[in-house]
Amino acid sequence: MSSVILRNVCKSYGNLPIVKNLNLEVKDGEFVVLVGPSGCGKSTTLRMVAGLEDITQGKVHIGDTEVNDLPPHKRNIAMVFQNYALYPHMSVRENIVFGLKKSGADTATIQSKLADVSEMLKLDEYLDRKPADLSGGQRQRVAMGRALARDADVYLFDEPLSNLDAKLRHHMRTEIARIQHQYNITAIYVTHDQIEAMTLGDRVVVMRDGIVEQVGSPMDIYLQPTNTFVATFIGSPAMNLIEAQVEGDELVFDQYRIPAQRIANVDMHTLAQHNQVLLGIRPDFFEDSALTSPSGNVFVFDDIQVDLVENLGFDKEIMFKLGGEDAKARLDLRSHVKRQQSLSLSVDLSRVLLFDTSPQGMLINAGTEE
Amino acid sequence: MMNKRTNMQSILLYTLVIALVIFCVFPFLQILSTSLKHPIDWGNASLIPRVLHLDAYKELLGLMPSKEVEVPASIQRLLDNPALSAEKKQLLLTKFTDGGDVFSFGRYMLNTFSISLVTGICSTFLASLAAYAIARLRFPAQSLMANGVLFVYMVGGVLLMVPLYQMSVNVGLASSAGGTILSLFLIYLIQTLPVAMYMLGNYFRTIPFSLEEAAMMDGCSRVEAFYRIILPLSKPMLFTVFIYCFVIAWNEYLFASVFLKQYQDFQTLPLALQTLFTSKNAIWDRIMAASMLTLLPVIICFMLANRHLSGGLTDGGVKG
Repeated sequence: MSSVILRNVCKSYGNLPIVKNLNLEVKDGEFVVLVGPSGCGKSTTLRMVAGLEDITQGKVHIGDTEVNDLPPHKRNIAMVFQNYALYPHMSVRENIVFGLKKSGADTATIQSKLADVSEMLKLDEYLDRKPADLSGGQRQRVAMGRALARDADVYLFDEPLSNLDAKLRHHMRTEIARIQHQYNITAIYVTHDQIEAMTLGDRVVVMRDGIVEQVGSPMDIYLQPTNTFVATFIGSPAMNLIEAQVEGDELVFDQYRIPAQRIANVDMHTLAQHNQVLLGIRPDFFEDSALTSPSGNVFVFDDIQVDLVENLGFDKEIMFKLGGEDAKARLDLRSHVKRQQSLSLSVDLSRVLLFDTSPQGMLINAGTEE
Repeated sequence: MMNKRTNMQSILLYTLVIALVIFCVFPFLQILSTSLKHPIDWGNASLIPRVLHLDAYKELLGLMPSKEVEVPASIQRLLDNPALSAEKKQLLLTKFTDGGDVFSFGRYMLNTFSISLVTGICSTFLASLAAYAIARLRFPAQSLMANGVLFVYMVGGVLLMVPLYQMSVNVGLASSAGGTILSLFLIYLIQTLPVAMYMLGNYFRTIPFSLEEAAMMDGCSRVEAFYRIILPLSKPMLFTVFIYCFVIAWNEYLFASVFLKQYQDFQTLPLALQTLFTSKNAIWDRIMAASMLTLLPVIICFMLANRHLSGGLTDGGVKG
């Protein structure tokens, strides 16, 4: 195992910058997830670590070695590709041991690794098949097995689950988490799926347009997003952002006047510099007032007109208007609200976030810790 | 939407197809038929010989028992003349008994096979390297080079024939049989390489690059990834390209006729066939049998290539 350090890494194609001045340190045995929308440079970053893309500027270290000019095959990296990239002319067995053989492992080691991996990924009965005779999920497992059989310094995953159906994706996700805990591998995992990012990562790196927006533990990112991009990108349904006027020590929109002091960690001097702020409330933080007893720091939005109700089984999502914007709330199944009805929603104000109205939408209060 | 053909359309279609097939196949049937006919049967317009006559084949393949030639009575009288020296007699006898080597088919076959095989192997090997470079690597003037190789085809062989021969004379290659064959081999290589590169290049592009990347991640250098992943996956196309080069060299007449004119022993089959056609041994069944035997390897090659062309080797490697 080894650490991976990226220092001021830039990548551009011609004049088009893809990754801009990226700094990241992946510690030994740490599982870091790069997440972001398509084209944010996360895969390019991964491929630069792998050596499959040249680094325009900056340095990449694996362990103590600077690898900028080291060809991919000398970096001792294992990688799982989005499209699996299995060798079609080789059997599953040959695919898995290919890298091991290449590294000069002895027969006993190869056999024991093969047995380990095929048992862990339940590939025993497919070892003699060709990739063409496997289903998508099985191929994905072989690709995973091929990487894990190696004794690599760093493991790279490039959206390995994106081609699987929802059920299989869930299964493989837990499988990867299990493997990571079992082997304690140093891994960089690229995904655009925020659930994968939240569930797998020791740390999550949120990227946009080649820039790192935030690095932190999954819960940090969820509860204290540094800006509105991270706030809305992580979490499903996305966080509601409601524009409110700052009037003295109150935040005002629609008929509601929210006392700003009751929102956690608000510096009133800072707030006073803003005319308007964005109120960030996660849909999960709303509760049906009829089902909860009002406690100290709860603010009640009464007379909410429900536009739409989606029953998801355990919980339901309701859509309504708040501050002139479409908003969503996720209520538990005991709530009997119906379309076109009105209800009161309560929110614990210590969970509400405030962002400024600049294009970046920076966080004003420090949010809450859980 | 499926188009359902009417009966009339079907009949028309099949008639056209059958007509086309007959048009293509007829010359071959004519060759086969004539090669199997007895000389007395040559006037028979039917494609089916009255009697099956395999002598021409036997003769070419050296399966005929050597014939005892009867010396005509007038010659016998001359030989009996005691005034003639023994040496002269022997000479006279040889002239009448020796029918001459009719057509050393085996030798020409071997010549042709050797040069075709070497051309096929070398051309496929060189083309695979060049095609990989053109398909995968980035270098200055890449597309110019990729398209430039096809330029060879824009200049006809007839135009190049004399300058090329002149060149091989100037460098001294044409003065020996070995040198001549070497220059012929080089010409065949140049003739087959562009299309071979083109075919292989297009095939390499269909192999996902991520397979090579995966190999590199597994510890292969680029060259290793090429011969461990790309070449095994390209087997059907490599085979097809080999067959293509082999057949081109096998059938080539123009350059062979210029370069090998003076080296009778090293002539290739197309050239030898032409020589046979204009020699005193030009007998229809023999010419046709020789043509048939020359065709045979080509037909076998195409049948093999057809079987290997099913392709589909890269299936399942990457998500489609």
